[in-house]
Amino acid sequence: MKSKGRRGGIYRPLSQDQIETIHHAALTLLEKVGFTYESGLEDLLEMLEQAGAAVDRDRARVTFPRSLVETQIAKAPGRVILYGRSEDSHLDLQDHQVHLGTGGAAIKIVDPETGTARPSTLQDIYQLARLVDRLDNIHFYLRPCIPTDIPEAAYDVNVFYACFKGTRKHVMAGVNTEETLHDVLEMAAILAGGLDALKARPFLSIITSFAISPLKFCTQSTRIMREANRHHIPVALSCAPMAGSTSPITMAGTLAQIHAEQLAGITVCQLTQPGAPVLYGGIPGMANLRTMGYLGGAVECGMMNAAIHQMAAHVGVPNYNSAGLSDSKIPDAQAGWEKALTIVLAAMGGSNYVHHAAGMLESMLAVAYEQFVIDDEIIGMACRVLDGIPLDAERLALEVIESVGPGGNFMTSPHTLAHLHDEYYEGNGISDRKSRSKWEKEGASGTWGRARRMVERLLSEDESPYIPGSLDGQIRKRFDILL
Amino acid sequence: MSEWAPLQQALISGNEEELCRLVRQALDQGTSAKDILNQALTPAMDVVGERMENEDMFIPEVLMAAKAMSAAVEILKPFLTADELNAAGKVVIGTVKGDLHDIGKNLVAMMMESAGFEVKDLGVDVAPEAFVAAARDNGAQLVCLSALLTTTMPMMQETIAALEAEGLRHKVKVMVGGAPVTQDFAASIHADGYAPDAGSAAKLAKTLVQ
Ligand code: B12
Repeated sequence: MKSKGRRGGIYRPLSQDQIETIHHAALTLLEKVGFTYESGLEDLLEMLEQAGAAVDRDRARVTFPRSLVETQIAKAPGRVILYGRSEDSHLDLQDHQVHLGTGGAAIKIVDPETGTARPSTLQDIYQLARLVDRLDNIHFYLRPCIPTDIPEAAYDVNVFYACFKGTRKHVMAGVNTEETLHDVLEMAAILAGGLDALKARPFLSIITSFAISPLKFCTQSTRIMREANRHHIPVALSCAPMAGSTSPITMAGTLAQIHAEQLAGITVCQLTQPGAPVLYGGIPGMANLRTMGYLGGAVECGMMNAAIHQMAAHVGVPNYNSAGLSDSKIPDAQAGWEKALTIVLAAMGGSNYVHHAAGMLESMLAVAYEQFVIDDEIIGMACRVLDGIPLDAERLALEVIESVGPGGNFMTSPHTLAHLHDEYYEGNGISDRKSRSKWEKEGASGTWGRARRMVERLLSEDESPYIPGSLDGQIRKRFDILL
Repeated sequence: MSEWAPLQQALISGNEEELCRLVRQALDQGTSAKDILNQALTPAMDVVGERMENEDMFIPEVLMAAKAMSAAVEILKPFLTADELNAAGKVVIGTVKGDLHDIGKNLVAMMMESAGFEVKDLGVDVAPEAFVAAARDNGAQLVCLSALLTTTMPMMQETIAALEAEGLRHKVKVMVGGAPVTQDFAASIHADGYAPDAGSAAKLAKTLVQ
């Protein structure tokens, strides 16, 4: 059973009236309050001014008339296909079709050998890509951690290289400059067989955190975003305020501010390149009000991420958001419940591209190999919920009940055999469902230990040649590849 | 201690109006501004810092207390000498070049101010030269660098190098912090101090500057 692309939209925390109230509040915010900015965005300001926005350079404020926003939003495609490098790994983002995968830019990884956190490396990004390639319920690979062992200037090309080498699944990451965006596209074009082939079937996409909440353009990311637009490379318009610190403490206020930020971001992209493929990237989060740190595992994060999908669907743009964060430091029970709740809520909501859904720990600061295996199971279960309970004559099985008859059993019925593999989520092997005696004989280990063994087994498999030797040579000749 | 209890209670609970009333009352009764500051307000703010460090208090409540503190200090100002006012010392703080994260840095600045430092906040994306100039021009005893990105942590080292090049390094202490920064990293770039949160940052600052 494939878990990818199932239809959500069955958990709707906002009513239609509430959606419209938030939408209008956002338009009002853009019209009355607007966005601020810093230096380096003069070309953006000119473009916006020409399109009818008001730019007050003394106050560094851009305000957006409703009509401008509405016309530009209408130009954004309602469907974005994010390709993989195999036929089974494309993602068709539209409507309430749900996809979940990895995400983040963690700086630490829990070392499987020691069980303690250490700085993450380029090799980790590659090995995690290989692991994710083998976990069927993780639908895409967004680089989950940072290569702290290489020079900063070498980050972007090497991160994408390590991802491409490890998995055929769709790859997403951020880049640090417009120049390195060009480098990454050049490298991907080598794999695609040319830049046009890449643009036609982009198997990579870029995260651009264009907004510094509340309501401020980030110069660097906005420039990168617009450059990606010009190349028809899909972008996720990430903005991630924390309720109570960079957005109002209330959920409704946070949703309204995020929606305003997203409408502004989409407007900028569509003015830059009409029809540019974009993902509405609102990520409602919460501040830990005792430290002002990021709170990832709160149940309200799941609720708000379902709600933000409703807002994206309201303007007809596929969305990128977040679930599966945890504030726990290790793959423990807390990580389990926080992930399960937020993932199932975001999936039931119908979010199209849910990142952070596998591997993350410590409020976005760490990942763990074992956690990817555990989260693959959680995602599989969450996606199973989306199928609901199929009911037709065959599934209702009246004839089967009749033929087995009172007092019989169903174990050998052909009907049982026919549906042995298509009625229930089968699991990836991490959930323990054995008898106590068998479990004791196998070492009586908890989830973390079982996951560690599964990681060892999967990573000991042969490496897949996702970057063929000839192209590898070409890439290494052109770029300083450190893997 | 107990004579200050109502005043301290008003401060800790962030009741600005009540605090200001009590401060004025104390002044009217002939209590010296210096005593009010050093015996009542600063110790109470230390309690707030401790509670913050132990995560026993919500940050918005901490901020209310800090705001009340500032208002009270405003009232005392005319009766204090410059030395008494910023007895703790002068601090220059900022987020290093290339880094735009400021939530943590702002909390640190706020706690230092409440601890009696005169704080010059340079904002985010601050170049090494800007730190150098501000440290020199303000006669700072302490320079605080914040970084939230692994990619901007090296900028801390460059900032320290710039202070050295200008001959200022021996005149100032340097403290570093931010989520990816560790004690080991701080030691490796020869910073004088590291603290994992704003409450302990202010405490450490006091011991460094003494
Ligand atoms: C909020 C946030 C943002 C906001 C910042 C808003 C703002 N006004 O500051 C925005 C959206 C703008 C942002 C942008 C980016 N971010 Co960011 N961000 C965060 C997040 C979620 C929380 C940071 C925070 O505010 N924490 C709360 C405060 C209170 O904690 P703190 O900063 O650690 O401060 C405390 C202590 O560290 C200490 N302290 C802090 N400074 C100092 C200084 C001294 C001297 C001392 C003693 C102590 C001290 O005291 C503070 C209070 O207790 C972190 C994840 C995380 N969990 O930390 C990512 C995170 C830091 N960001 C990350 C990334 C990747 C980015 C971007 C590159 C994203 C992108 N793709 O564009 C950009 C970079 C922009 C730039 N050039 O700086 C990564 C970093 C990875 C890395 N390479 O290191 C993180 C870890 C998230 C992740 N895993 O993906 N981000």
